[in-house]
Amino acid sequence: MGLFDKLVGWLGLKKEVNVLCLGLDNSGKTTIINKLKPSNAQVQDIVPTIGFSIEKFKTSSLSFTVFDMSGQGRYRNLWEHYYKEGQAIIFVIDSADKLRMVVAKEELDTLLNHPDIKHRRIPILFFANKMDVRDALSSVKVSQLLCLENIKDKPWYICATDAIRGDGLQEGVDWLQDQIKTMKT
Amino acid sequence: MSSVDSSGDGGKWLDAHYDPVAGLYTFSSCIDLADLSGDRESRLVVGDLGTGSSGMKLKVYRGTALISENSLLDLPAGLVAFFMDLHEPRIPAVAVASGPCIYVYKNLRPYFKFTLPSLDINPLEQDVWQQAREGQIDPVMLKEMLESIRKKADVPLSVRSLRFLSLESDEVDEFVQLYKQQPIRRQTVITCIGTLKKSTADEDGISCLVIGTENSDVFILDPEAFTILCKMSLPTVPTIMDVTGQFDVEFRITVACRNGSIYILRRESEKPKYCIELSSHPVGLVRVGKNMVVGCTDESLQGFTQKGKKLWKIILPAPVTTMAAMDLPTRGLQAVLVGLANCQVHLYRDKNLLSTIKTPDTVTSICFGRYGREDGTLIMTTKGGGLMVKILKRTAVFDDMDSTPGPPLAQSVRLNVPKKTKLYVDQTLRERENGLAMHRAFHMDLSRTRVAAARAYVKALESSLTPMSSSLSKPLKMNAVVQGLGPSFKLTLNIQNTASCRPIMNLAINFLYDDNLYRIRNPYMKIPLLVPGLIYPVETFVECTSDKGISDIIKVFVLHEEKSSPLLTAHINMPVSEGLVLS
Repeated sequence: MGLFDKLVGWLGLKKEVNVLCLGLDNSGKTTIINKLKPSNAQVQDIVPTIGFSIEKFKTSSLSFTVFDMSGQGRYRNLWEHYYKEGQAIIFVIDSADKLRMVVAKEELDTLLNHPDIKHRRIPILFFANKMDVRDALSSVKVSQLLCLENIKDKPWYICATDAIRGDGLQEGVDWLQDQIKTMKT
Repeated sequence: MSSVDSSGDGGKWLDAHYDPVAGLYTFSSCIDLADLSGDRESRLVVGDLGTGSSGMKLKVYRGTALISENSLLDLPAGLVAFFMDLHEPRIPAVAVASGPCIYVYKNLRPYFKFTLPSLDINPLEQDVWQQAREGQIDPVMLKEMLESIRKKADVPLSVRSLRFLSLESDEVDEFVQLYKQQPIRRQTVITCIGTLKKSTADEDGISCLVIGTENSDVFILDPEAFTILCKMSLPTVPTIMDVTGQFDVEFRITVACRNGSIYILRRESEKPKYCIELSSHPVGLVRVGKNMVVGCTDESLQGFTQKGKKLWKIILPAPVTTMAAMDLPTRGLQAVLVGLANCQVHLYRDKNLLSTIKTPDTVTSICFGRYGREDGTLIMTTKGGGLMVKILKRTAVFDDMDSTPGPPLAQSVRLNVPKKTKLYVDQTLRERENGLAMHRAFHMDLSRTRVAAARAYVKALESSLTPMSSSLSKPLKMNAVVQGLGPSFKLTLNIQNTASCRPIMNLAINFLYDDNLYRIRNPYMKIPLLVPGLIYPVETFVECTSDKGISDIIKVFVLHEEKSSPLLTAHINMPVSEGLVLS
């Protein structure tokens, strides 16, 4: 298998995975995806996403197609139409927005109880973003407030990130890559 | 960050924040939401009343945290955020009405102070103080003269004179010395404040301030120069205000007043256009679209059109503490939030109750709008100074259940009644035409039946023909059983004393019969003492002496030793003796 993987790698035929990037508006989804792209493809100005946008980036062994969904209230009902295609979920949380933590939890609960997600062992990666803000909550506190310990039937991982500097993103993506590989084999 | 039990609201609200000790004492008129820093995140601006005499502050919240505090000089009567210029970035100013002044804050720094024009002073009062200043009259004289002016004059006294009149006699000298050199001024105070868009209906268009005063006037102020653009008079003091429209086009100011009336002012008329006289005093006034919803002290909520026509009235379960509009255009939701004294907040669309929110304390102020980045945020402060933030769920749906008492829905479902037959129709017609005669005939028959029954009863009583003794002192019951085929029969009489506790003594049984036909072994028998309730069988043997195959009646009498008439009589129909026929 290892040899085959290498061969695939040499040929540039990496395995494709569809990932959904979800989270409330202003949590930093587009900034995170932008940061994960190769440095020559990054854009400088991030504007609020309308509807959704499709971005692609590659890691050592996988080729990710990310559905960067808009987090604005009026576009959140679009999310569920993409649940079927998604093989993994990235859920971004604004750790500095204590007031809307309940809204993030509500959207997460809706996501986890959706029939397209509920019975699938789909890996979920949480980014507790905006760690650079002074009074941001720690990733432990965020996972407590979102009751992540109640997710028993899906692999999940939370990492504290600062999307502007790119801290913590690689750690999360590495975990996601491992999960997808173990899921496939 | 703590959360409150959200039971009772049907899971429509998310508990975002509750701080029971926020120390925020305010009313709905002193609370507003505005994007004060131009970053598209709304802040909560509150005029805190403090303890009522000290600690008045202008507080600004961002998210769950207090980010700014400015001390206020006087109790705030109202607070509004409004755009006063066209500068970029579009940052609104905050106007706080307190006492006779409006303090305008820009970027949370004091920017401008507007003072209401002073009122006319009674010339007599001015003369009196002039004399006091020149030492012509002493304080006692001054007091007498002011007192007489107060009673007669149509222009009221200034605050200084009124204060002077209320002083104790040992304080008056000092007071006069302190104030006699200063000129008299008479000021009114602001009771309510609102905003009115100047010329465009845009969300960030320039707004004029609209103020109501204790002197029963309504002023509209220019937002840039702070000059009075328009002055209108009311018959009484306004307390609650709602403004809609644009100053340059057409506007409508609805004011609830202290005399329990609501007046509607319009452009180009100095006097109120319409008046609604309420049955009790208004507590809250909210405009929903083109209609007004008023909460009154008699625990009622009433709806009116903009021309003052009453649409509906409902009774609330508790007194109203505060009211606010809930307007969410993105979801097409317009409703009224009503804070009640029983620790509930009701949401009404017209007269229908959509949802009930239970709160841990009585709510004193409500504000609904965009807070932070969330459009449907409900902010409430409580009597104990708590701050509560709830966010409307994205998936929340309010169904319009009709809560008005009346017949249940099932009552209006039509039953499948079969068609009326011709017979039924004829019968009904006959009954309708001859109702009186039928009723009379019925009564005649009923009376006849009663007479017949009474006669039969009397006859039975007279002849004592009952197997039940009717005498009250010796109630008895008897039944007889004849056994055998003949010619000899066994006759058993079961006698029971039906009295509750008293036994019966000295009874005897006698038989009356045709002695050509029958022979009874002992035709006279003594009955032992009858204990109440028990059944005593008395047996004797009857022999039929005839061989003609005929039968007769045997009469049984239960007798008392002291009475001539029998207590009980029974007729026994004897069967035909078959034994003789057979043999």
